[in-house]
Amino acid sequence: MTRLWGIVLNWIAVGLAEDIPVGTVVPRRVDGLDLAIWRSGLGRFHAWDDRCPHRGMRLSHGFVRGEVLACIYHGWQYDLDGACDYIPAHPDLTPPKTICANTYVCEPRNQALWVALGTVNGDVPDIGDRIPIRSLDISCGAPAIARYFDHPQDPLIVLNGKYDLAIALQPSTSRSCFAHVFAGAGQDKKIVSRYVEKLRDELEAA
Amino acid sequence: MSDSSKDHWYPVGLLSDIYTPRQTLLFGQEISLTHDDTGFVVKKSSGASLPTIERFGHLWTSLGQPDHDLFVIPEANTPGRHLVDVGSVKVKCSPLRAVENFLDIAHFPFIHTDILGAEPHTEVDRYKVEIREGVDEVWATKVKFFQPQAAKSAEGGIITEYMYRVPAPTCAVLYKTCPPRPKEWDIITLFVQPLTEEWCEVWPWMALYDDDSTMAEMVSFQQLIFMQDRSILENQIPLKLPLDPGMETPTQADMTSVAYRRWLKRIGYSYGAQMVAA
Repeated sequence: MTRLWGIVLNWIAVGLAEDIPVGTVVPRRVDGLDLAIWRSGLGRFHAWDDRCPHRGMRLSHGFVRGEVLACIYHGWQYDLDGACDYIPAHPDLTPPKTICANTYVCEPRNQALWVALGTVNGDVPDIGDRIPIRSLDISCGAPAIARYFDHPQDPLIVLNGKYDLAIALQPSTSRSCFAHVFAGAGQDKKIVSRYVEKLRDELEAA
Repeated sequence: MSDSSKDHWYPVGLLSDIYTPRQTLLFGQEISLTHDDTGFVVKKSSGASLPTIERFGHLWTSLGQPDHDLFVIPEANTPGRHLVDVGSVKVKCSPLRAVENFLDIAHFPFIHTDILGAEPHTEVDRYKVEIREGVDEVWATKVKFFQPQAAKSAEGGIITEYMYRVPAPTCAVLYKTCPPRPKEWDIITLFVQPLTEEWCEVWPWMALYDDDSTMAEMVSFQQLIFMQDRSILENQIPLKLPLDPGMETPTQADMTSVAYRRWLKRIGYSYGAQMVAA
């Protein structure tokens, strides 16, 4: 379990699965921790510390080559388990097993992507057959947002209502969140998106 | 460990450019650069004057008590060289990270792609590294690497040979194969001004044999290279240079970096360094 800013979270949403296409890597910040989230050529998702063990370069600046993530700085390649399997400066060397990126459990479920920073506890949250709407920054801490909706300790705030909304919060710092929003199947994305912007303004004003 | 960081000379401006008064930072302290009848004047905000040296096209000063002259580069004085003031680039990283990156060749194919390196020519052969006692400098020699375009005047790929020298904690000198004159070395330096521990101003300077390129071309070539490096330097975690082993993982290609970190630790240089693994 991970305790963030007074909220207990097992799973933390880090994005809409569709926003991380095959063969790409993106940075995400959770609780001040910098992560590199990447999706291999075969579509597998991974969440690692955003730091190459060689010289500390952000791996989110790197590039995906099939089933490996390569650091942009010296091209060191890391396999799906985070182990370094190729150092271009020494092509004939088998890298020692100790050279390894720090990895976390990362699971997609339906249209959402989740990360467990600590021990995995419980199932990956289920958004059902909702469709992804968008992710947006909210200048408001996660506990305040949870209290606003009376959802004290849930990683997934299910509002139902007119648009059958579900909001998964990614606390980036103590005073900001990246909110990943889903709505009932068949909802109009543009309309729901505008509604969510209004919701954000209310939250930031509260 | 007593910190020796302030007892060194640091570049703070271009001699060619200093008739314009300049306000800048050194070790987080405001300093001002002006020019009067007696020459260049560098002062702290308290009004206290600081010592100056004019060398390599730059004005140098110190906040401490340097017990040594600023190093020299005798090879740069040979006739026929173009002395190139490149100007400066501010970078949000430790001054020591900037120097270490300058000493690194393994990144050429990935960061300076098709200019200083290119895949699949990524292998770094063993080279020689030493800390020269007496002068107390870090030297790397017999460094060889494939370059698709080794300099503005180079055409086609060649194996380029380099020597790297660290004569002061935030200064590095690169001696590099000179395509028009195989028996001479081109000289490219990196002089780094520590603004704070995580912010620096980098002053590259060159002494080149190149009769084909204009001064503007030589400057823009070096600036392009350094802008590519900046994209790395501002994205390393931590921004300071870790001196204790364990936090980062060197290989044989990083022997210069290993020697540089050891040397910094030995001379008690801690400004911009991370001493304890986080």
